[in-house]
Amino acid sequence: MRDVFTEIWESIRRNKLRTALTGFAVSWGIFMLIVLLGAGNGLMNAFMTGGEDIATNTMQIGGGRTSKPYDGLKEGRRIDLDDRDVALTGSEVFADHIDQVISSVSTNATVSYGKKHFSGSIEGNFPARQEMDKIEILYGRFLNEKDIRESRKVVVLPEDRAETLLGNEVRDTGARMQMSSSSSAKRFDSSSGKKVRVQDLIGKNVRIGDCSFRVVGIAKANEASNSNTVYAPYTTIRTIYGRGRVVDDITFTFHGLESESENDEFEKQLRAAVNLRHRAAPDDTRATWVWNRFTQNLQMNKGRNLLTTALWVLGLLTLLGGIVGVSNIMLITVKERTHEFGIRKAIGASPWGIMKLILAESVTITAFFGYVGMLLGMVACTILDKTVGQSSVNIMDTDIAMLVNPTVGLDVALEATLVLIIAGSLAGLFPARKASRVRPIEALRAE
Amino acid sequence: MLIELKDVNKTYNNGQPLHVLKGINLGIDKGEFVSIMGASGSGKSTLLNILGILDNYDTGEYYIDGRLIKGLTERQAADYRNRMIGFIFQSFNLIGFKTAVENVELPLFYQGVPRAKRHQMAMEFLDRLGLADWAKHYPNEMSGGQKQRVAIARALITNPKIILADEPTGALDSKTSEEVMQLLGKLNREEGVTIIVVTHESGVANCTDKIVHIKDGIIGQIEDNREHRASVFGTSTIMK
Repeated sequence: MRDVFTEIWESIRRNKLRTALTGFAVSWGIFMLIVLLGAGNGLMNAFMTGGEDIATNTMQIGGGRTSKPYDGLKEGRRIDLDDRDVALTGSEVFADHIDQVISSVSTNATVSYGKKHFSGSIEGNFPARQEMDKIEILYGRFLNEKDIRESRKVVVLPEDRAETLLGNEVRDTGARMQMSSSSSAKRFDSSSGKKVRVQDLIGKNVRIGDCSFRVVGIAKANEASNSNTVYAPYTTIRTIYGRGRVVDDITFTFHGLESESENDEFEKQLRAAVNLRHRAAPDDTRATWVWNRFTQNLQMNKGRNLLTTALWVLGLLTLLGGIVGVSNIMLITVKERTHEFGIRKAIGASPWGIMKLILAESVTITAFFGYVGMLLGMVACTILDKTVGQSSVNIMDTDIAMLVNPTVGLDVALEATLVLIIAGSLAGLFPARKASRVRPIEALRAE
Repeated sequence: MLIELKDVNKTYNNGQPLHVLKGINLGIDKGEFVSIMGASGSGKSTLLNILGILDNYDTGEYYIDGRLIKGLTERQAADYRNRMIGFIFQSFNLIGFKTAVENVELPLFYQGVPRAKRHQMAMEFLDRLGLADWAKHYPNEMSGGQKQRVAIARALITNPKIILADEPTGALDSKTSEEVMQLLGKLNREEGVTIIVVTHESGVANCTDKIVHIKDGIIGQIEDNREHRASVFGTSTIMK
């Protein structure tokens, strides 16, 4: 093996420039492949942030407007779900698939603490919501059964909202101190260092509308799930805001629906049942909407696979240019070394002995420059991660990350290695066959 | 008989069929120092190719040490060349990017001899030919005579049954030519190496013990030249 590499090194050393130029094309191909896959991963990760955090076996239904006349009623009629829909969903009709049903009501209100406040949606909810939406509690706890039973006035705040309630206060304190004292920068720093931490909010009371609520937990903010909402007990919100029997949405967990078609069929039945209760056409998809996280997840995965495949194809096509270059250079090498191969054969080299030389050289060039490209690609991905990956665009008051963790894993590196070895062998195959067919009589031909 | 050719025929079919060897019969014993002489186009190169297993022949039989050389696969042919034949070429045919010792090692590399062993053997052979100091030099740093001696070392290293020399002095001046021919003669006398020299120079042929004349694809006269008096240009020198 060492001998083969010595031979390759000798050959490459004689043609540094053209080897480097050819190698650059291979490096470029692999570089593009890695960067494309990394960026693709980042894009998909950004789309799916939090997506994996939601239990995938849940469905949510809500009311909309009818889109066609039915049972003597005009289209455009508003459908409000209510307690009887909850009961219907949880009834034995769907008991084969549905496990647990909860509903929620929400209202918009102003939450204030001291002088700070924000307006947002307050959702009356059940403890089971935590499991279904995978709400992560940073400090304190989520709602519990006792809160529901006793209609306690307690609230779970998302982290960023809690910061809003505290952050303003800290900044103001600093400003006030700055004014009262001789406005030294040092003072300001030390005062802002005394920032109130979010966990200190637990146990404190905040005002929501006209009532006082005790903060029992801080939830992790998550852009994808609706964790900008403030959670309060279902019973409490319902009582205070007097929404009657109306609910905003019904969420349930289900089982036994594996394929997309099974899910579609089930959704159709459920929609028909709910629609008929509200005198809407059973197939009116606008009257009630169904959000199936399971099928959504399936489709997301399908999309992800499609994107990855497309990027691989693009990357491999770029690499192809490099491979053709290597093949070309190897052909030239073989032509230049015809006499030498003749000598080698005359003194006892077998065809395979010659073929091995060219194949190994081709694979070595491809693999070496491929690895350089791969390394640079990974560096580029890391730079992408540190720059674009950390920034986000603000669309309609929510921060949306452009790229999340746009890097490739070890698996891609291994796959790319395999691709390089195969590509190098392919590039060397024809030149190597040509070389192995050199006739030993070539040795007798004078140069 | 070490080498035996029985009615060997060879025709090249490049457009017009060309019957180059028209029934060659030749026997060479172990330890002989033979030259094959002929003008260009006489078929001597083709005969050399066949003797060296570099090319196939159409009909007839060719034996080396009693082994029939016919219908070999490329691999077998390479193996036979490697173990039974040592080549000395007109243009030396050393590999330019390898040092003298690496060139000498090469046949052993194709035999699968371990690195250290073959290096040691190559050094021994270079030493015998007085080139130990030049082992690390590249061919383009050496004189023609030195290059040819490296090539002779490379031919000898596998301890072959025959040394085939194709115009071994063709690229050398007369003084060096003489030295090389004397070296070959010495190897033949002192170590009993069988040597076949193909040449068109009568002076070179005169250095050998037996001269086989080939003309128009047929073996003509076989001259006993143990007295070394065949040269038309005199006995003392190789004329160029």
